[in-house]
Formats: sequence, C-alpha cells, structure tokens
Amino acid sequence: MISIGLTLIFGVLEIINFAHGEFLMLSMYASFWLFQLYGVDPYLSILVILPAFFVIGLAIQRITIQPVLNSPPLNQIFTTIGLSLILQNVALFLFKADYRTVKTSYSDLGLNFVGLIISFPRMIAFILAMGIIAALLIYLKSTYTGMAIRALAQERRASMLMGIDVYKTYRIAFGIGIACVGAAGSILMPIYFVFPTVGSLFVLIAFVVVILGGYNSLIGSLVGGLIIGVIEGFSGFFISPHLKEAVYFVIFIFILLFRPTGLFGRK
Amino acid sequence: MLTWEKDFGEGNEVLKLENVITHYGDVQALQKVSFKVEEGQIVSIIGSNGSGKSTTLNTISGVLACSSGTIIFHDQRINQTPPHQIVEAGIVQVPEGRRLFPYMTVYENLKLGSFNSRGRTALRESIQEAYQYFPILAERRNQMAGTLSGGEQQMLAIGRGLMAKPKLLMLDEPSLGLAPLVVEQVFETVKKINLQKITILLVEQDVFEALALADWAYVLENGSISMEGGAEELLNNPQVKEAYLGI
Amino acid sequence: MTFFGREINHKSKALSVIIVLALLALVALPFLIRNEFYLDLLVMIFFWATLAGAWNLLGGFAGQISLGHTAYFGIGAYTSTLLYLNFSISPWIGMFAGAALSILVATVVGYPCFRLSSHFFALATIAFAEVLRLLAAYWRGLTKGGLGLLTPFKPGLAYFMFDNKMAYAYIALAFMLFMVLVSWAIQRSRFGFYLISLREDQDGAESLGVDTHRGKMVALIISVFFTSAMGTFYSQYFQFIDPESCFSISLSIQLPLLSIIGGLGTVLGPVLGAFLLTPIDVLLRGWLGGVFAGLNLIVYGAILIGAVMYFPIGVGGWIKIRWERWLKDKMGSPAISSKPESAITSPQPLKSREVNKADGQILFEVRSLEKHFGGLQAVRNLSFQIKRGEIVGLIGPNGAGKTTIFNLISGFYSADGGEMEFNGHRITGLAPPHKVCRKGIGRTFQIVKPFSNMSVLDNIMVGVFCRLKDPRKSRIEALTMTDFAGLSKHRFSPASSLTIADRKRLELARALATKPDLLLLDEVVAGLTPRETKELMSIIQAISAQGVTILMIEHVMKAVMALSGRIIVIHHGEKIAEGTPAEVGENKAVIDAYLGKGFRRGK
Repeated sequence: MISIGLTLIFGVLEIINFAHGEFLMLSMYASFWLFQLYGVDPYLSILVILPAFFVIGLAIQRITIQPVLNSPPLNQIFTTIGLSLILQNVALFLFKADYRTVKTSYSDLGLNFVGLIISFPRMIAFILAMGIIAALLIYLKSTYTGMAIRALAQERRASMLMGIDVYKTYRIAFGIGIACVGAAGSILMPIYFVFPTVGSLFVLIAFVVVILGGYNSLIGSLVGGLIIGVIEGFSGFFISPHLKEAVYFVIFIFILLFRPTGLFGRK
Repeated sequence: MLTWEKDFGEGNEVLKLENVITHYGDVQALQKVSFKVEEGQIVSIIGSNGSGKSTTLNTISGVLACSSGTIIFHDQRINQTPPHQIVEAGIVQVPEGRRLFPYMTVYENLKLGSFNSRGRTALRESIQEAYQYFPILAERRNQMAGTLSGGEQQMLAIGRGLMAKPKLLMLDEPSLGLAPLVVEQVFETVKKINLQKITILLVEQDVFEALALADWAYVLENGSISMEGGAEELLNNPQVKEAYLGI
Repeated sequence: MTFFGREINHKSKALSVIIVLALLALVALPFLIRNEFYLDLLVMIFFWATLAGAWNLLGGFAGQISLGHTAYFGIGAYTSTLLYLNFSISPWIGMFAGAALSILVATVVGYPCFRLSSHFFALATIAFAEVLRLLAAYWRGLTKGGLGLLTPFKPGLAYFMFDNKMAYAYIALAFMLFMVLVSWAIQRSRFGFYLISLREDQDGAESLGVDTHRGKMVALIISVFFTSAMGTFYSQYFQFIDPESCFSISLSIQLPLLSIIGGLGTVLGPVLGAFLLTPIDVLLRGWLGGVFAGLNLIVYGAILIGAVMYFPIGVGGWIKIRWERWLKDKMGSPAISSKPESAITSPQPLKSREVNKADGQILFEVRSLEKHFGGLQAVRNLSFQIKRGEIVGLIGPNGAGKTTIFNLISGFYSADGGEMEFNGHRITGLAPPHKVCRKGIGRTFQIVKPFSNMSVLDNIMVGVFCRLKDPRKSRIEALTMTDFAGLSKHRFSPASSLTIADRKRLELARALATKPDLLLLDEVVAGLTPRETKELMSIIQAISAQGVTILMIEHVMKAVMALSGRIIVIHHGEKIAEGTPAEVGENKAVIDAYLGKGFRRGK
C-alpha cells in the first residue's frame, strides 16, 4: 500500500517523494497516540487517519511541492529530502528515539488455518490493506476524478482539453498517495514498532516494490508488493535476515539498470 | 437532420480574436492575429507548417497564454482563463495528433470527454450520439484506444470532443496521417456535426479538403493572417499557392 | 568565469591581493588557535569543505546529483584502516589504495547509472550506498560489523596520527586547498567548460563534440578520489569508524546541502557553505542538542527547502553575480569593437578556412536510408547527395521526417538500413553524436538549446574547444565568432537573457565554431520577424561564402527558396522531388503534398 501511494505520486506528478517514509512514520505515531490517549484501536483509527492524511497531503502538496513542479529535478529532489529531514527530526524531537508499539487484546492471537499458524493482526492487516486497495482501484476506475488522475498520468495536454483542472488533480493525487501511506501506518502499528527513522526502513522497501512492479503501474505495485511480501516471508529460512535487505537493494539496482519499466510499467 | 440558411455577416459572433500576440517559448508565434467566427459557420484556418495554426487553437483553449490582445467568446473575455474553464464555457478542442488516452478503452475516453459539468449530466445520451456518428466506436467500445487504427482514433477523438457538449468545436489537423478515403469520411461527419448547430473552427494543412468544407477561411502565414475570404474564392486564388510554396 | 584580458589588470591585482591575504589567514589560523574546541571546529570546517567541494565537482559542475557519496567515504575509511590494522600498511598508502578501490567501484557502478534520469539516478546512488552499509555492518569477519574498527593511538607522520590537532588542521587545510585548486583549474579549462555544458544541455553539448559520457566519468573519478581520501582522514582523526558513521545517508545529504547553500557549481561555494554551516551546526547542537535532539536537523531541512525554492544559486552564486555585474558596469559596453552590432552591414570575416577540395565535389551522400519507430516508418529508402559549397534546402509537410533525418545524420538516432558517407568516410551508425561533430558535421536544433547559465561567449567557446584545446586561444577565436554573429553587445550576458532571434544566432555561431564542413540548420528562421529573418539569412550566406556546405530544414518558404541552390522535398519519410526552387514549386507531387490532392483539381 505504501508503494501504491508512491506510484500514484510518481505516475501523476512525476516526482519521487523522498519523504514518503516519514509520512508512514507520522501515521504510525498518530495511531500510537490515539491508542495511548484515547484507547482507539489502531484499525479503527484508520477511519480518522485516512481522511486526515488526505488533507495533510493536499496541504503539503500545495505548500512545498507545487512551487517546484516546474523546477529542475535537483530542486524537486531536495525539496522532498528537506521535508523528510524536517519530519524525521520533528518526530525525534517530540517523541524521542524510543521504540514504541501498541499491544491490543488480540496482538498475540494466532489462528490455526490448515496447519499454518497465521498471526491474527497480520491477517487483519492483509484484509484491510486489500480492502483499501480494492476501493482505491475502483475509485480510480469509475469516478470522474479517479479517471482524471489516470488520464493526467497518461496524457497531460489532452487532460487539459477535457476540462480537467490539472493542478487540482495533482493535489488530489498527492493527497491520496499520502492517505494510502497513512492507512498503512495504522495497519502496521499493531504488528511493528515505531521510532523516528522507521520511515526509511519501509520506504526503501517500498521503492524496490515500485520499481519491481513498474513505476507507473498501480497493479504493478500491488503485485510487486505481494512478491516482496512472499520473499520476506520465506527468506527467513534461506537467507540471513540482514542479507535480505542487501538482496532487495541489489534487485533494485538491477532493475533500474536493465528493465527500468519493471514488470508492468509502460513507456 | 435540420438544415438552415447560412447567412454571412448577419450571424452572431461566437468567437472573436483581436490583435492576439502569443509567445511560444520566446518565439513570437502569433503576431497580432485577428479574426472572427460566426454562429453556425465552419471556418477554416489554413497555412503551412510553423505558421501558427496550432498555436492559435492552443491560445484559444487557454493552454497557451496570449501576451496581448483579446479573445472574446459569446461576449465574454476569455484571455486569462485556465483551460478547464474554457472547456466549461463551451469551447472544445480536438488536438493535433488525436492525443487519446492510450491505456483507456474507447468508452473511458469518451466518458472522460464528458468531464465538464454540462457533459456529465448528458453522459448517457451523448454516448449514444457518439455511437451514432461513429458506429465503429460502438463495436470497439471496450478496446484500448492505443490499439485503434488511425481513422478510428480520429473518430474517437472527435467523439470525445463532442462528449463535452461544445458550442464551438475546434479541430486541429484532423486529416493528419489519414488515408484519403478516411479523410473524406471524417470530413463528412464534421459536416453532419455542423448541421446540428455546432460551430466549427477547423485548422488544416490539406487546403483542398478544408476549403471544400468551410464557409469561410483565413490564411495564416508566419503568425499573421495574410488573406481571408469565402472558400470558393480562395480555391481559385493563385496567391494561396504562393503562400504555401513561397513562389 | 572568463577573464577580462588586459582591460582590468588593476582589478585582477585587487583580486590577487585578496586571495593572498585569505591564504595567509588560513595558513596562520591553525597555528594561532590554541583552544581545542575551536581547533577541532577548524578541522571539521576544512574537512567538510573538501568533501563538499568533491561532491560539487560531480553535482554542481556536471549536474549529476549523487546521494550516495558516503559509499566512497566509507570505502576509503575502511580500506585504509583495515590495511593498517591487518598489514601495518601506512595509512598514507592505504589512502591511495582506498581511493583506487573507490574509483574502481565507482566506474563499475557509475557507468550504467549515468543513463538514468536524475530522480532515478539519485535513488540508485542511495540504494548503492545502503548496500555497502549493510555489507559493512554484516560482514563481521572483515569489518567487525557494528562494533566498528578502533585504531590504537600511535603518533607519527608515517602512521598518519598526531598528538595535537594542529597537524590535522594543516593536513585538512592542505586537502581543502588542493581541492579548491583542482576545482579552479577545471573551471577554467576546456574540461570545465565541457562539464558545465553537459549539465546545461546534454544533447547540445554532444552536438558540439563534447564526449559527455567521458566527462561524467572523469568528474566522478576526481570526486570519488577526494571523497575517499577524506574517509581515510576521518578514520585517522577520530580513530574509530563504524558503518553508521561511514556509510551514513546524512553524510550524503550534508554534501549537497553545503554546496547548495554555498553556491552550487562555483569553486568557492562548498568552502563558503562549510564555513557557514559547520559552526552553525556545532552551535545548534550545543544549544539545542541535549534537550532537543534533532532540532538542528529540522533547521537544516528547512534551510534546504528554503534554499532550493527561493535561493537556488546559494551564497556563492549570489556573490559571483554581484561580482560580475560590478565588473561589467566598470567595463561599460565592450570598447574593443567599434564595428556596428548588426551583422547585416558588415559580417566580420572568419579566419580563412582551408578549402582543400574544390567546390562541386560530393561531400555528403545518403543511400537508401531507413528508419522506423515501432510500426511507424519514419524514413523510407532515402537517397540524396550534397556537393561541397552548396546550400541545399530540405522541405516537406509536417511530420514528413525532416528532423528525423537530421538526427540520423548527426548521430542522435541510429539508422535501420542504408548508408551515409561523409567526406569519403562511412558514418552510418557513428555514435554518440560528438563523434559526428568531430568528423566535421555541425548542427542546430529546432528548439534551441543554449547553455542557459553560461555567457554567450562561453557558449561559443564550447564549440571552439572542439578544435582548439587552449582556453586563451579559444577565447580569442570565440570573440571573433561572437562578432560575426552580431552578438558583441551580449558577449558576457548569460544565454538565458537573450531574445529568441539572438538565441538562434548563438546556436548558429556555436555550431559554426566547431569548424564544420557540413552545417545542418534546423528551422533557424522559424518565428522571427521579417527583419530578423533577413539578417539571419545574410549571416547564412556569409557562412556559405566561407566555404561551409549547408543543408537547411525550413518551413519559411520565402527564406529557403531564396537561399537554396537546390531543394529536396520529403513527404512521409520519402523523397518526392528534387531540383531548383522553381522546378520544385511547379512539381505536382509537391503541390499535392502541401496543398492536398484536390487543390490542383480545384484549380
């Protein structure tokens, strides 16, 4: 889901959001605090976080991204990097570097399913993520705005001539991208722990997924995510967990060099 | 289908450009261009490459901003209006080279055409109308636009334009890259569309076809209008040839 | 960037005085400062200045944004340290070994990565550095992983360890000065011009004979050398290295930050950035660090965004502009040439060219050229010849394939079939484009590609450098060319400030500076007013009179008909007619192509 957000932003706005991971981190913290302070179950907090992050995405896009959309790539890269720096360190400042996690009543619950033991939270995470992704895909397919987003990614000139407000659509796309990441954060909270630099951990994997699946294909992100997820699951057996990260990066560089369009990408 | 008399000089002005100067990058692509289009007409702008034909349409559509001059549509100044609002107002462009959404189906392309508010409400009937003009589109409604033939793509592009419920439909070189027979078909359809009381502004390089279709034409040379007149007159005017070939 | 010749001797004297004073101050500082804290600060400033300067060479001059430079830093640090700890090899030697390894790695990895577009290149460099970090962290056998490597303290020159910080300060200073010297030398040299040109417009640079790929690689290698060396320095200064500190992404980000703030692409920018930000960083950490960990980085992040959005040229860039503007005011308009600016009245003659073959011989020949893109046949069975001394016009309706033909000739596209012969050499498949330029074919682009941030004179110098290596001689040659093109008034103005007519002239002059035998002009008079068109036409005639053969694509019929001795008409990628302007004008195939088949019928 993180990757889908990234792909959306890249496909439509054509910038790589280096700060993507930091939004994940923020949403995880948000979930955490909602739980700590108000006892809101992380999964339910999605209801709040998703729209909230959408709005945050809109705001960030207008304030920091829009001004540099027509600047050379150098400026765009450093804008999102600067953003990432700020967010990371605001978090560090506010929340300190300790690891925190959320323990709910079902955190350690496991389900027995045809001989495999599946962790309950992970299953919920999977279902929720799939659900949100499905909803997103339907939205993009059938609503006018959704179609506008897809159109803009394919053909900018013609989109303008259809009456599509280009800048507004950019904002919405960015907002949705961030909302995805926000939801991802809530879903992750019960399974993982949060600390200020957790963003980098996940976002690097997300980039691998994006490139693997095809940098402008949402289906690609989905498939890429599933593939990486499977590798994650099985690699514990075959490769030392640390080397696994290295493997990802090698895949990453390989793809960038030899098949930059990834599995499903076009152009 | 309805027919009605076309009188020149008596109709309402739908579109009027006055001394429009547009810069394309740094090039002064349009140098004080002035012309008008009356309701119900088919007006053609002809000229050789680089003369500024596409720039003219793009300036009207708001894709390019004119540096000075005025553009008036139905008595409203539309100079500094952003492109999506111009579509909203009723001016729709079918761009050069079609520019379809290649990874969307015929149906989706048409639907996107109806993006503006007037189009949306009429979605159902507009689609039916489009299929009536271009039966082949109905057949291929679930096919990816990128896989259509040149002629089919042009038809889809025009259909998409119609979905926006235009008051003024602007076509940029519809004959580009099409076989002569297909060109004839396309132009036949444009004529039909015009008979439905949609004003047409046609930019073309194929002078003969353009003049055969249009009521009135302007010749654009190097960013300024060098000639204008009724289609018949221009067809027989040797100066037109000179404008194109410089001899 | 260029010097101003004899006119401002007194100005350059002032400049030299400033430089000498600054140097003296720098050299004196480590000796004068006794306070440990400040001395350490000084060392760090020099350290960062060197690193930032190294990055700036690749990122600022050549425009390749690497966010993984920490990789080379780490390689340098670990190599020298491991060699010392395990084999007692002096870190000085280890430094060179580390640098060599870094360069090797950079070449292997950098070579394919340069093909990527900027966003992806940055991403790839980050990934690459991360891989190395993981390698260092988990290959415990070699690197002791997260425990890091501790170098036991043993003072001595050979061991690259000293008991007082002053020595380190001098070494760091030496590196920094060396770095600055190298940057400065590059900036004034042909290589420097080439780097900046490839940053500004890679295709434009290639068309002028710049081997862009080699340029990037050389910049990378130099950059990596210094970065790696500083890694060794770091290890010797702190006597402890671990993956977190040596392969850290914040180091990678720090380098461009310093360069941007100080002035990207300038010689002193990184130094300024280091002098400004390092103390601020230390101070911030001091004030806020304890309680508000990370606040300093927040400020950094904000500064970065602010700089990029509002102040992209940095402090150094700002200073440079002020300096140049001040100099220009003092100079007034150049008094060197008392000749009129317009080229119509008296185009300055070029240095006479050797015309070693008589006019009329076949200079360039195309046979059965083919090119398709996917299913679209862009050029089909095209054959024509161009004789020395001719001006040939290439015309045809929109989308006929004319620019494609130019791209095929100049090496930007590769042909799918057919042959091209120039001056007796086979040039089919000759690529990249700079090789074609070297052979003697120059071109302009339909959409002009000026090197925006370089002055008009510098733009032309890039072209001159194709044949001349010496910067001073090139400058003189370029000045002549500038006058010829009627751009004297603007010779020191940045290319971005020119009007479109002047930019077209610049494009023309630049291509001409490469002393081509065949000049390809792509729609040079498009979009010009009638007067500007006439002026440019007379320049083209003057060029032809100098012996340059010209092939020009044009839509402005009056121009091409007037200038050309012969015309080739292209339609749908094929040649449909050839002959004198009059013949072509009457040719029915041509009329059909342009006006539509029915037109003749209508008449």
